Amino acid sequence: MRSTLAIVVAGAALLLAASFPLAAHHSFAAEFDAAKPVSLQGMVTRLDWMNPHIWVYLDVKDESGSVAHWQCEGGPPNTLTRNGWSKDSLKVGDEATISGFRSKDGTNTCNARSIKLPNGKSVFAGSNDDGAPKRPTQ
Amino acid sequence: MRTRFCSIAMAIAVLAAVPLFGQGFVGDLTSKDPPKGLDGPAPRTPDGKPDLSGLWQRPYVPDMSKNNKDGTQIGTPELPFTEAGMKAWKSYDAANGDYTGSCLPFGLMRSMNSPDPIQIMQSPKYVALLYEQNTWFHIIPIGTQHHTNWSPTWFGDSVGHWEGDTFVVDTVNFNGRTRLDTIGHPHSDALHVIERFTRTDAKHMGYEVTIDDPKTFTKPWTNKRIFTLRPDWEIMEYSCEENNKDLYDGHIKAPPPPK
Repeated sequence: MRSTLAIVVAGAALLLAASFPLAAHHSFAAEFDAAKPVSLQGMVTRLDWMNPHIWVYLDVKDESGSVAHWQCEGGPPNTLTRNGWSKDSLKVGDEATISGFRSKDGTNTCNARSIKLPNGKSVFAGSNDDGAPKRPTQ
Repeated sequence: MRTRFCSIAMAIAVLAAVPLFGQGFVGDLTSKDPPKGLDGPAPRTPDGKPDLSGLWQRPYVPDMSKNNKDGTQIGTPELPFTEAGMKAWKSYDAANGDYTGSCLPFGLMRSMNSPDPIQIMQSPKYVALLYEQNTWFHIIPIGTQHHTNWSPTWFGDSVGHWEGDTFVVDTVNFNGRTRLDTIGHPHSDALHVIERFTRTDAKHMGYEVTIDDPKTFTKPWTNKRIFTLRPDWEIMEYSCEENNKDLYDGHIKAPPPPK
């Protein structure tokens, strides 16, 4: 219950802070493809709350029931912290939907622009103005 | 043509939102929760200089040729490239080695353009800039001369002096391995940067930078912006290396040292 509340608070703070410029460690174009938007719904298996970017690991089931392992890069933890996130905002086992862009190398890697949390709130998770296209619509 | 028109229209819109640069130089910052109770003039140090100290929030400037939406950053829309400069700009591909991805030093301008806050510390002899981005620092001695025999560096060789209430920083001797901004505007080892810090009131600082690089640009050009004091923030550690998965997993390339 407490973690749910924390996520609600974090989500609300992030929505309020959506106009904040979030930090970019490197250029979006160095790794990701603006022409390959992706939306992933799955279960969080791991969260790396570390510099220079957070990484969210997600198991995504397709229609046949087979599971694909995905990893998605978010913003830097310092900036996300100032915008209301914490390392507890996403827990292993949470269902989440990530909207973002695929990496150029074709692996199951993405740049997360927004993450829909278990409470239904969508929060901005990426590195704004790093050359990525505008957020994909939900 | 359309781009130029849009640039001009945006410039007019921004100028309308920011009536007089240098006189107040304050845009609408309400969306960024400026701290309360910080009204009044710029504080001064015991030697009478404006006190630049504090933790400053800065607009992110990924493209120095553009303005940002809230009027806190004004760029130069069409950069005056030389032929060599245009060639360097057109041929840049971040996918082939954005040096910042491998945590190499961002260098002076990309550090000044980063969105992370900056802590400024000041004494009569030095001004120190402590960048949260990758926990770098840059120290500016006041009233000294440039070194004559130092090797070129990522952040360059800076000297500072006061022009009235404005702190002016002159920097040369760059190694030419950096880019000016995230989008990748180029510069050469002939880069000469002049920065002007003016604390316009208790909670705002005007920052104007002039880029002078005769190998890359036919004439100097400027970029202006507003910093906002954030006493409610603390600078945080930022280790670029601790989990740089993009590099470790081979998703991005590290540019090799020059031969």
